[in-house]
Amino acid sequence: MDNKFPLKGIRFTDFSWYAAAPFVTRLFAAYGAEVIRIESGTKLDGMRWQSPRKPDVTPTYNISGMYNNYNPGKLGITLNMNHPDAMGIVKELVSISDVVIDNFIPGAMEKWGLTYEELAKMKPDIIVATMPVTGKTGPYSQWRGFGTSIRTMAGLDYVTGNPDRPPIGTGMAAWPDFTCNPYHAAAAILSALHHRHKTGRGQFIELAQFESTVCWTETLVLDYTVNKRVQTAKRNRVPNAAPHGVYRCQGEDREVSYCAMPDSAPESRNKDERWCAIAVFSDEEWEAFCGVIGNLSWTQEERFASFLGRKEHEDELDRRVEEWTIERSPEDVMALMQAAGVAAGVVQDGEDLLTRDPQLKDHGFYVYHDHPEAGRIAHDGLTFALSSTPGEIRRAPLLGEHNDYVYKEVLGFAEEEVNRLITDGALE
Amino acid sequence: MLEPPYRGCIIDRVKSSDTALGDLRVLDLTSPMGVYCTKQLADLGADVIKIEPPGGDPSRAIGPFYHDEPHPEKSLFWFHFNTSKKSITLDIESPDGKELFKTLVKTADIVVETFQPGYMDGLGLGYAALKEVNPGLILTSITPFGQTGPYKDFKASDLIGLAMGGFLFICGWEDEPPTRVACSQAYNVASANACAGTLIALYHRDMTGEGQHVDVSMQQCVAAGLQWVTQMYDLQNRIMVRSGRLGVPLNECKDGWAMVIPMVDWDDFVGWLESGGGAADLTSDERYKDHEYQMRPEVRQHIIEVTDAFTKSHGKKLVCEEGQKRHVIAIPCNTAEDVVENPQLLARDFFVDVDHPELGATLKYPGAPYRLSETRWRIGGRAPLVGEHNVDVFGKELGLTAERMAQLKGQGVI
Repeated sequence: MDNKFPLKGIRFTDFSWYAAAPFVTRLFAAYGAEVIRIESGTKLDGMRWQSPRKPDVTPTYNISGMYNNYNPGKLGITLNMNHPDAMGIVKELVSISDVVIDNFIPGAMEKWGLTYEELAKMKPDIIVATMPVTGKTGPYSQWRGFGTSIRTMAGLDYVTGNPDRPPIGTGMAAWPDFTCNPYHAAAAILSALHHRHKTGRGQFIELAQFESTVCWTETLVLDYTVNKRVQTAKRNRVPNAAPHGVYRCQGEDREVSYCAMPDSAPESRNKDERWCAIAVFSDEEWEAFCGVIGNLSWTQEERFASFLGRKEHEDELDRRVEEWTIERSPEDVMALMQAAGVAAGVVQDGEDLLTRDPQLKDHGFYVYHDHPEAGRIAHDGLTFALSSTPGEIRRAPLLGEHNDYVYKEVLGFAEEEVNRLITDGALE
Repeated sequence: MLEPPYRGCIIDRVKSSDTALGDLRVLDLTSPMGVYCTKQLADLGADVIKIEPPGGDPSRAIGPFYHDEPHPEKSLFWFHFNTSKKSITLDIESPDGKELFKTLVKTADIVVETFQPGYMDGLGLGYAALKEVNPGLILTSITPFGQTGPYKDFKASDLIGLAMGGFLFICGWEDEPPTRVACSQAYNVASANACAGTLIALYHRDMTGEGQHVDVSMQQCVAAGLQWVTQMYDLQNRIMVRSGRLGVPLNECKDGWAMVIPMVDWDDFVGWLESGGGAADLTSDERYKDHEYQMRPEVRQHIIEVTDAFTKSHGKKLVCEEGQKRHVIAIPCNTAEDVVENPQLLARDFFVDVDHPELGATLKYPGAPYRLSETRWRIGGRAPLVGEHNVDVFGKELGLTAERMAQLKGQGVI
């Protein structure tokens, strides 16, 4: 028995694009589902042209770093959905699929006639999942947005960062695209597969990315509906810990290239963005923390003796802590604190993650594959280890790479039929 | 105009009272790092039993509190994360507690725990031991760095998870220390990955009958969601750093902020600014239509300034509604109040009222993260009181007598 891939036997007809929904099928593909991604050269997934790319490789739509990281292990086929033959092909594909997924604007699937009702005629126990931005219904159903917009709409940006400056949230990082929205969708689909296993029935799942992200705002909603409190940003501070922050550490006498945005001009400077996060919750941890920094005289001052005192003088406390950390590398700060049982961690950058972190190395987190056009490239790895069925990150497909396999072997089309579809432009 | 909420939408026609996971029993030994995993399972119908140490779970001390009155039965944090669950108290470190736990494991499908690696093994309750009791069991362990490796014993909170996973480094202003994203996102992402991992293991068990151990690393969960950090370094040897406002096309409105992304439909965008008399040189210069040109930091800054001049004279809701009508991606930077009063969420009946009889109140909660047509997501009830289901579980289900329960209570076991 092949125990490696627990989801072997599940087939997806995958209409997803950009990030949030491809991230769902990324997870399913890693655990063995056969994910057939439908793409078209007539309307490319925007991710295929996204930076970053390798600078010394001919730029094609097959070398986008993000596309290749978001789509490992999937089968790529091309199909021009506006071609008259497309619907017949979709029908055949859906009739042998378990799940259909899309994250188009509401109305796009319907325009092709691919409503849940129609899809269920093609495959009665089909599970259909759609991931619109704000939902299929409602006054804002046609609103457009990216992961960054969903984050700000859901209230996360307003409570993130520095309350005295504009709410920049998590900057360019479209956090919900890689977290709540795909993993919520995955949970919903997996729960539906369990239900199908019990009852033989499929169903329709709608995940409005806005709603899904509001579910990730902890007590933001309840604090308002119950206490009428509008929570605000608190930098790195939390009510139940002090010190609790990010402290500058010793820089490295070594030049690296930083960039604020993928397309911004190179900025070479010493690796001076070195920080360590420290979180001290209990009095016991405070004692341990003081021990690590050699019980410096200020730590013995009366005003820092109690938690309430530390909280009251937190600005001063943070300044003192940084006087100590700035003399040390963040790795040293972390090691010393952890040895004493204090939670601390290097604020790791891309280089730290990919080349230094011994934990990620030990787990083989980053997965490298040779890509036919991009060469050897890194992929983010698995986030959990399943003891019996570990799964695997494979490489992403080239545009239409699996046309032959899918059209001939999965759908059983004859060679001439495939050739005709190509000539007629159905597979563009 | 807006149709009445969900009329004609398939979701509204759910007839079945079935839940997706109603046949499953879950034992919940999670701290805040994993509590959202079991909330998801519970709201999808699983019978989740929160096992609290006698005296109550430490997370009951996390605020904010109902009417700001600190009390173990008034923590909004507890309320939010423990909907649809039951609660028993049990000291799993005591010999009797261990036996009772093992008895519960016999009929459980899933155990979710967040103890330090080795702790459960030390109690004789590790995966190998529990598998003996119940071969089909799925044990999900959520820890900061996973069960193995040089950092496995490191302590970590949400902040440390964000730091070590690489997300913290790219968050915040360029001239300030990296600044965490709010609402415990490292815990959330660890929990959500754990839930997906658990359900993948469940599918495998449905097919084969075999249980397994799911070992979740919060660090890896964070590191897998960094957008382009990995690729920028891998492909270009460049380190992504905080972009500050440069990375966020944020515009000032009369009453707050809106995120206006001009890159998608430049003509629509400029036409909209023009209609308000505020497009400046963005109309005349063809170069602005080029995406690469738009993305240059100094150009981006200029676009923000021109847009700001326009948006400052309007409220954010109007700016966004009008912008979206013109296909501009315009999104209000919502506060909690804006979210609770958002026309879209209200029209879709997103929020859920949950009764709290002890408080004599009905509280409004965030609703479904996903809407399933056959197996309704629902909040099956408010979060449990400390040990609320001790009698149901220990007495009715396990058959302990009142005397035995009193004895165990006296010994501090339950």
